[in-house]
Amino acid sequence: MDADGVGVANPPLLNAAGISVRFGGLQALDVVDLEVPAGQITGLIGPNGAGKTTLFNVLTGLITPRAGHVSLDGRDINGWPPHRRGRAGIARTFQRLELFVRMSVEDNLVAAWEACHPGAVLGRGRSERRRRVAEVMDLLDLWRIADVPAGALPTGQGRMIELGRALCTDPRVLLLDEPSSGLDASETARLCEVLRAVVGRSSSGEPAVLLVEHDMALVMDVCECITVLDFGRRIACGSPAQIRSDSAVRSAYLGETEVA
Amino acid sequence: MSDLHDITMQGSAATLAPPVLELDDVWVSYGSMRALSGISLVVPEGSVVALLGPNGAGKSTTLRAISGLVRPEAGRVLVSGIRVERRPTHAIARLGVVHVPEGRGIFPSLTVLENLEMVRYALGEEIDPVAEAARIFPPLGTRLKQLAGTLSGGEQQMLSLARALLSDPRLLMVDEISMGLAPIVVGQLFDALRERAESGTSILLVEQYVDAALQLADYVYVMDKGRVVDVGEPEDVREGALVSAYLGS
Amino acid sequence: MSTLWPFIVIGVFTGSIYGLAAMGVVLTYKTTGIFNFAYGAVAMFSAFTYWQLHDSWHVTAWVALPVLLLVVAPLFGIAFEGLFRFFSGASAEIPMVATLAVLSVLQVTAVLIWGGQARQLQSIFPRSTFLLGGNLHVGWDQLATLLVSLAMGGALWFLLRHTRFGTATRAVVDNGDLAGIIGVNAGSIRRGAWIVSSMFGVLVGILLSPTQGLDVNQLVLVVLYAFAPAVLGFVFGMPWAFAGALGLGILQSVLSRWSSSGTVADLEACIPYLALFVLLVVLGNRLKEAGVAVRPMAAAASDPSSSRASPSAVSSAFSGPQRAVRRRSQRPLTIGTTLFVLALLVPVVLSGPKLDDFTVAVTWAMIALTLVVLMGWAGQISLAQFSFVGVGAFCVGHFAGAHGHHFLLATLIGMAISVPLGLLLGLPSLRLSGLYFMLATLAFALIMDTLVFNRPDVSGGLTGITDARPNIFGLSFTGRVGFYELVLVVFGVLALAAYVVNRGPVGRRLNILRDSPLAASTLGVNLTVTKLVTFAICAAVASLGGSLYGSYLQAINPQGFSWNWSLELLLLVVLGARTMITGAVLAGAVVGIQHLVASTDPNIVNYIALTVAIGVIGLARQPEGTVAISVAEARRCMSVLRPRPRRQLVLETLFATPERMEVGSGR
Repeated sequence: MDADGVGVANPPLLNAAGISVRFGGLQALDVVDLEVPAGQITGLIGPNGAGKTTLFNVLTGLITPRAGHVSLDGRDINGWPPHRRGRAGIARTFQRLELFVRMSVEDNLVAAWEACHPGAVLGRGRSERRRRVAEVMDLLDLWRIADVPAGALPTGQGRMIELGRALCTDPRVLLLDEPSSGLDASETARLCEVLRAVVGRSSSGEPAVLLVEHDMALVMDVCECITVLDFGRRIACGSPAQIRSDSAVRSAYLGETEVA
Repeated sequence: MSDLHDITMQGSAATLAPPVLELDDVWVSYGSMRALSGISLVVPEGSVVALLGPNGAGKSTTLRAISGLVRPEAGRVLVSGIRVERRPTHAIARLGVVHVPEGRGIFPSLTVLENLEMVRYALGEEIDPVAEAARIFPPLGTRLKQLAGTLSGGEQQMLSLARALLSDPRLLMVDEISMGLAPIVVGQLFDALRERAESGTSILLVEQYVDAALQLADYVYVMDKGRVVDVGEPEDVREGALVSAYLGS
Repeated sequence: MSTLWPFIVIGVFTGSIYGLAAMGVVLTYKTTGIFNFAYGAVAMFSAFTYWQLHDSWHVTAWVALPVLLLVVAPLFGIAFEGLFRFFSGASAEIPMVATLAVLSVLQVTAVLIWGGQARQLQSIFPRSTFLLGGNLHVGWDQLATLLVSLAMGGALWFLLRHTRFGTATRAVVDNGDLAGIIGVNAGSIRRGAWIVSSMFGVLVGILLSPTQGLDVNQLVLVVLYAFAPAVLGFVFGMPWAFAGALGLGILQSVLSRWSSSGTVADLEACIPYLALFVLLVVLGNRLKEAGVAVRPMAAAASDPSSSRASPSAVSSAFSGPQRAVRRRSQRPLTIGTTLFVLALLVPVVLSGPKLDDFTVAVTWAMIALTLVVLMGWAGQISLAQFSFVGVGAFCVGHFAGAHGHHFLLATLIGMAISVPLGLLLGLPSLRLSGLYFMLATLAFALIMDTLVFNRPDVSGGLTGITDARPNIFGLSFTGRVGFYELVLVVFGVLALAAYVVNRGPVGRRLNILRDSPLAASTLGVNLTVTKLVTFAICAAVASLGGSLYGSYLQAINPQGFSWNWSLELLLLVVLGARTMITGAVLAGAVVGIQHLVASTDPNIVNYIALTVAIGVIGLARQPEGTVAISVAEARRCMSVLRPRPRRQLVLETLFATPERMEVGSGR
């Protein structure tokens, strides 16, 4: 249930309730709730410094909140370290690319699959790995650059590789931190296509996608539900149309210019 | 391309002032990778020129070639008629060329105040950096003692631009200043740029946020794959078939 | 408490000495971004130069001192700036390793110019004493040193924090390119910073040599002691470096009150290193390396290891067929097997003492392999591998029996002991990276040297320990040829295992650990387990190598496994190729060549040592090591690169002073 009483289509797959984080004297997050329903793309927007990346870090286990709970499919995952959450199905991309720069594109994906499948280090599941990696390489059209060291590629392709890496872990929830930052219009359009394909063609509603973004055109286009943070608090949650016309959101974040 | 050049040269001849920036057939490679293939462009004195195009077109490389971060292998770069393509970066900066680089160009382990003071160190300006910066971007005023590395992305971008504006540039070059910023902040930054443009500073603007760029610019160059493929005034460029392919609007 | 009073006062004076050195290190790091391991050597060289001018040529101090400060120091400064200009943008380890190489270059040069014996440098302050508190004799020079330290500390703190120059140096360290485009002449600033740092180094040398002794090693040792306070200074600021140094001096002094018994004496010697280790682990995440956060802007696209935007030309170059079948190249395996077979056949042509050079080369290659895995593949730089080598060697000495009948058992014991030690070494890696982890491994190695290897019950005391050649399952390997073949086979097996493992999931796991631990952990990799297991295995294999190495040497002593050897190993592997098994082989080969050369003419080795500077510059052109240079370039570089000599050998042959062989000597 979102703040405006609009019914959310699916039950939350990833749920954060009452999250509070404090850094020294700064209240980075102040009793924040966030729902990421299955089968949807959810947006998380807000001014810089509002706490979006901090919230991401709480969801992925890099930061321990002072208060509040995170649950995955109903299961409380508070206190789980990042690698355990990764194996449980929470995958993320980073604002500043964290590629395995000296490895080839394909090896980035292969290593990602191996990272979250126990026993892979010993060589188990090779055929399944090959199948899944090929699937992702097909979806993102990475075959042309399969052998190129990831660090030699431009940002646009780098973001696709990070997305591909996340997808190779068979995620239940995909957390994307500013995935269109540094992308031009055609690359952004491609990203939207891929996101819709990833969410649309899955029958199980997984992965669900949570998207932090500043590109409002992108957010309004692909997200079904948008949560807005400001100064560590949630100030709005609803459909794109509602958010666009919400006065608090306009004054804090959108400004008065018409958003495309 | 020749149209703008001719227009400018005519105008310049009339005022006897060279354009604040001129690139003449500039070629740049990174190792064996060709980045710019014979770029020519002109920024007339007191105007705002936008440089648009897809990723990998060479827009950032063009700015780097002007400020001296990369050395062209051929061609000339002239700032107010002075050739600069062989000069070190600090010498070019002292000519009044201020480059606000892509990605937040700040010194993370210096405080906000120290970041702003670097302008005084470099260029000996006597303006009070604090008052000016706080006027243009109020959030900076309250964070003077904070380490710049701990600021949020938008605040870092504000700091980067504030520092650039403080040095009273002859030519201000801004590279994708809207990247990763909230729309309202983007609005503030562009307001600051507009204010500057109106007071006569020449601006060369690289942007992905096409609408804002077109609103601000007097002229537009469109680049792709290391070449200039279109040039003209914003309305003309917007209609061009080439542009809609790149810019997707 | 009153009985402790004299010790405390002495501690304060000793501490002020460490404080000077610590502040010099902090100054250099803050203003240039480089942790200068060679700082002590700069001080030493300056002190020697001063001695030459003042004590030998009788130039008055009023001239000699300014010459040093205004001529020699700037020369050092400019040389350092020129050297490190090459390294901007390269990975963080390369500058550190370069300073280590500079350290040995300065030491060898000092030996070449002034010979190996110690000199006596007169203090510039009067050495007469006065009475403090009625019963304590304090030298005026000691007091002067304390006062100068305080004054310099204050001045430096002011310089860094409150002058524009200080701010500018910190800005240039953060992001030199950005400094350039805002109008700061980054090159000038850096030169200035290095000159100031060198001037301070000159002062450290001249002030400390009179009391600490003027020889090739002593000041380097003092600077090592000062690393712990220096780390304190990095985090909390210059005054804390000084305070920490005083604390260290007092602690050591107070402990010496009870140091008649062996263990406490060892502990006292070990305190600076324990302090360093503990401090690093405790400060952990607060230690952020200077200037690493921002990648250089200008060279972005040409550096394949950066992830910033580069022209789309790259992608178009790879427009091959979809899903091209890619065959894994079998060439390395073929080449490796060929070399192995050739190596097996070496005894056919060479059976005399020259075969020993091959044997030592292979044992070193085995040890170097562990560093390739640890450093090149997993990204953990370790200056402690030779500590495990020592464990293996001493275990053979103690447990293998006089005729090596229990060699296998002894080796296994050594490996079993090395595993928990390796885990201990790996613990700091969970909280530290880069420079600070390297310092932690250095501290570990020094602790092993002082606390473990120096014990008579480990090292065999005055009689020493002898390692026997192996006798495994009745097969005796005492003969030269037999032992060589054994060592070669063991190395072959290890190299093959490493090769196979690297191409598979484990290799990828190590690589992602190196490239982005953050991404790896969010993908599902348990960093703790992966790192600790890697350290444990590399320690165990190093111990295995140590058992064989000790067996080769036969007569072993603690100095043979001190941190200098780990340093040597690191330099060789970095110069060779730290990410390739070939690099390990090359490292071994260089050692073999050194032995070969040393046996013919010890003096040539000195001059060869000087060309390591060129080798280091060569490294700047190809940070991945000399092997990564293509063959065409290699031919050009062959004329420029020379093998590095074994430092210990140089110093051993030139000045036999066995009693100097304490902790960290040989530097």
